[in-house]
Amino acid sequence: MNLTTYSTDSAGLQAFYEAIINAHETYAPVEKFGKYDFKKVDSLAGCDPDSPIPQTMSVKSLFFPKSAKVMKYTATSEGTELSDTTEDPLAGKRVVLGVKHCDARGLQVLDAVYKWDYIDTDYEKRRENTILISPRCDQAVTHCFCTSLDYDVENLDAMDVAVIHVGDGKVYLQARTEKGKNFLKENNKGLSAANGAAKEEMKKQYDKFAGSFRLSMDYKEINEKMQDKFDSPAFEEVSSNCVSCNTCAFVCPTCHCFKISDEKIRDKGVRYKSYDSCNNVYFTLMAGGHNPRPVKYRRWRQRSMHKFVYYKERFGVNLCIGCGKCTISCPVNISIFEVVNKVVNTMQE
Amino acid sequence: MDYTKQIKEIAGKLFSEEKIDVFIGYRNSGFDENQVPVLIHHYQDVDQLVFTEKSVFNLTNYLKYEHTRNKRVGLVVKGCDSRALNLMLTENQVKRENLYIVGIACEGVVDEAGQKAQNCLECVMPDSVVFDEMLGTPSGKREYQVNADIRELDGKELTERLTYFEEVFENCIRCNACRHSCPLCYCDKCCIDQETSTLYHGANTTSSAFHALMTWSLHLAGRCVDCRNCEKACPSHLPLHLLHKQNEKVVYENFQEHQAGMIEGDRGAFYKYSMSDPDDFIM
Repeated sequence: MNLTTYSTDSAGLQAFYEAIINAHETYAPVEKFGKYDFKKVDSLAGCDPDSPIPQTMSVKSLFFPKSAKVMKYTATSEGTELSDTTEDPLAGKRVVLGVKHCDARGLQVLDAVYKWDYIDTDYEKRRENTILISPRCDQAVTHCFCTSLDYDVENLDAMDVAVIHVGDGKVYLQARTEKGKNFLKENNKGLSAANGAAKEEMKKQYDKFAGSFRLSMDYKEINEKMQDKFDSPAFEEVSSNCVSCNTCAFVCPTCHCFKISDEKIRDKGVRYKSYDSCNNVYFTLMAGGHNPRPVKYRRWRQRSMHKFVYYKERFGVNLCIGCGKCTISCPVNISIFEVVNKVVNTMQE
Repeated sequence: MDYTKQIKEIAGKLFSEEKIDVFIGYRNSGFDENQVPVLIHHYQDVDQLVFTEKSVFNLTNYLKYEHTRNKRVGLVVKGCDSRALNLMLTENQVKRENLYIVGIACEGVVDEAGQKAQNCLECVMPDSVVFDEMLGTPSGKREYQVNADIRELDGKELTERLTYFEEVFENCIRCNACRHSCPLCYCDKCCIDQETSTLYHGANTTSSAFHALMTWSLHLAGRCVDCRNCEKACPSHLPLHLLHKQNEKVVYENFQEHQAGMIEGDRGAFYKYSMSDPDDFIM
C-alpha cells in the first residue's frame, strides 16, 4: 500500500489533535491517581496522548471492557423473558489518541480470536468504528521487548495513523491503513505533504528507538523449545513467588478470557461479561468440584504456554506482544520475559 | 539499611543445620533496582538473598500458600510484617514452632522514586515484635498520629467524600491483587468470590467494586498493620490506605487505643469481650 505521509510541527500536531477532539467522539489517556487510562475527552488539556509507558493502562478496555452488559432478563414463576440491553456505549464512531504501538498490535492479535469460529459482533463493531492514532515511542523502558517479537514495529499496520516525532519539533503523520488514509485526507488542516527526507528521518528515529532496548529474545527459539517444556520442573520454581492475583491478565492488552455473572434484584437481572484470569484458582473449577489447575505452577504453565505456544499454533502469532505491562503491574515483580527464558533454558532430566 | 551479608549467613546456617525446609527472602530483580520475593529451598541458592531499603513486600503473605504450609520456614520480617505475623499466629494460621523469624529493626523502605514510603514515615513500630534473631538496633515504639490524608478527608463534607470514593471505585478493575497481597486475607474461599451470590456478583462494575472493597476493608478493621502491600499491588494506583487508616483511627479511638498485632497472643479489637465496654457506638 502506498503510505500517505504528512509533515507538521509540534504546534501543528496539537492543533490536529484539538480539531479531532472538537469534531469526533475522542478517547485518550487521562491521568487519575498517577495512572493513565483511556477515557472520553472533550479537550486536549485534560489528556496526554504522549503518556509515559509504564503508567499507561491498555487500550483493550475500549473494545473488551472490564464489564459489559450482555442482556437483561425477568424471571418469574410465569416464565423467563430476555431482552437486549440498552445501546452499547462503545459502539459509536470514535477516534482514540495516544495508543502505544504495542497496544495497537494487541488489538490486531485479539482480532484473530474474536473473529474466529464465533464472531463477537460487539467487538467487531467497536473495532470497525474506531480510528487508532498511535505515537511511536522515543525510548524503551525497563520491561519493553516489543522489537524482539514476531511483528514489524517500524511498519506496523495495526493502527490507522502513526505519529512519529523525529526531533527538533518536527512530526510526521503516516497513514497505515485505508481507513487512516481517508481520515487524514479529511482532517489535513495544518498538515503538509511530507518531502523526500521523511523516509530517512523516520528510519533514523526508529533506529534510535530500537537501540534503546535492554531486553531481547529470539522468539522463534522460545516458540520451538517451549513446546517440549510442558513437564518442565522450572514452572514450579518460577511460579513459587506468585501471589495468584489476576493483575497480569487484567492489564494485558491481549488476555481475553471472561466470565459471565448476574446482578439480580428480586425477579429482574442483568447479565455481565467481565474480565477473568487463568491465574485465578477458580478459573478451571468445574461443577462437581474437580479443578485441573489447583496449584500455581499449572496456572503459570497455562499462561506462558498460551502466550508462546498454543496461540501461535492456532493463529500463527504470539499472544505476547512484549509490552511489559504485566511485569510493571505485578505486585512481586515477576517478569514474563524472565519466566519463559528460564523455562526454555532449564534442562530436563 | 543493608543486612544482605547477615541474612545470607543466617539462611546458610539454617540450611546446613537442617533447621528449615524453605527460606523466604528477597533477591534483586535483575532488571532494575526493584527486588523480587524469593523462596529458597537449597543451601546453594542462599547467595541470591539481599536486604536493603528496597525490600518492600511483606513476606508473611507467603505463609498462606501451599508452598509453605506445614513446612519449617525461615523468613525475614520488618516491623509491620512482624505485626501481621503476630496476628497470623494468634489466628492459628501458622505454627510458631515451624518458623525461624529473622527480625529487622527497620529504618523504613523507599518507593519507586527513592523517597521514604509514607507508611514508614508514620510507622508506630519499626522493630520486629516477634523474632528469633534481631538485626539492627531497635529504636522503640513511636506515638500514634492520625494520618494526614485522613485528617484532610475528615474535614470534607460527606457528599464530597462519597464523590471522591466513587471515583476511586470507578477506577478499580476488580483484579483482587489487593486481597491476594494481604497476608491477613487468608480465607480459602473469600466471600467476594462467591460467583452464585447475588450479594457479591462477579461483574466488574463500580457498585460491585464498592461493595467488595468496603467488605474487605471492614474485615481488616482492627487487624490491618499498614504494610501497604495492597496499595503497592494495585495496578490502578488506588489510594487504598484511606480505607484502612480510617478504620485504624476509629479502632484506636474507641477500643482503648488498640493497635493490631503489637503484642504476641493479643486477641485483637473485635475478639475481646469485656463487661466494662461502654457500647456507645456502632462502627
